[in-house]
Amino acid sequence: MQYLANPTRFLKIANAVLPYVWAITIGLFAIGLYGGLVTSPQDYQQGETVRIMYVHVPAAWMALFVYSVMALASAVAVIFRHPLADVAAKTAAPIGAVFCFLALATGSLWGKPMWGAWWVWDARLTSMFVLMLLYIGYMAIWAAIEDPHRAAMVARVVALVGFINVPIVKFSVDWWNSLHQPASVFRMDGPTIHGSMLWPLLVMGLAYSFLFLALHLVSIRAEVAARKIRQIHIAEIGER
Amino acid sequence: MDFSANHIGFVLASYAISVLMIGGLIIQVLRRDRKLRAEATRLEAQRKAQHP
Repeated sequence: MQYLANPTRFLKIANAVLPYVWAITIGLFAIGLYGGLVTSPQDYQQGETVRIMYVHVPAAWMALFVYSVMALASAVAVIFRHPLADVAAKTAAPIGAVFCFLALATGSLWGKPMWGAWWVWDARLTSMFVLMLLYIGYMAIWAAIEDPHRAAMVARVVALVGFINVPIVKFSVDWWNSLHQPASVFRMDGPTIHGSMLWPLLVMGLAYSFLFLALHLVSIRAEVAARKIRQIHIAEIGER
Repeated sequence: MDFSANHIGFVLASYAISVLMIGGLIIQVLRRDRKLRAEATRLEAQRKAQHP
């Protein structure tokens, strides 16, 4: 981790791996969408509507994963003062917010035909909505506070305190009575989904993960450039 | 996929919103990266010219 904390070294590695990450992402999406839309069967109860699962579930997984990445990066920033840790947390937030919005939107589009309602205030949906608010709040802090060092201090607290919500989202369907179905992939006794539906779902999960990796590396590279521009402007002001 | 199935509009809408949001995110991230890196390179070159 210390090795990657150097921005120059990080950018060199990121530039080298990015073409491969994009290629793997495109390949995984092609395989996952083919599996999800062509080879996987209809559900015996839900019919074709089950295909929403292949975009809804990976988006929800990623919304939780990206917030966990933000919390971990914020913890690293607090403990080790790595120069790239705050940048990693800041740049992950908009990507995670899009995944969270997609989980809510596609969940709503799945809920209407299956439950008869676009939205219900049950534990899973409400905790996911709180996660969306945390993403918005985190991004608002970076946008509102001009000094990046002060913004980072406040943003770290939000990321770390907000992480409490991640296990609440995950276990909400076990802890409370919910209209949302319980976990069916990551379970102690193994997945309850048939293999013909499970493999496209896992491939789509991998595709979303690689997409996040690609977008995150590009966003970090852009943020490093933004900070370089800021430093040049500050140096110019100091020289006047 | 059966395009005449019940509730197919909800499935298509889910994929459409996913494509739009993810496509928009990719375009926004790549454009910001290109713009900022070009600006940083330009300013660095300008600064080197001013302070050789």
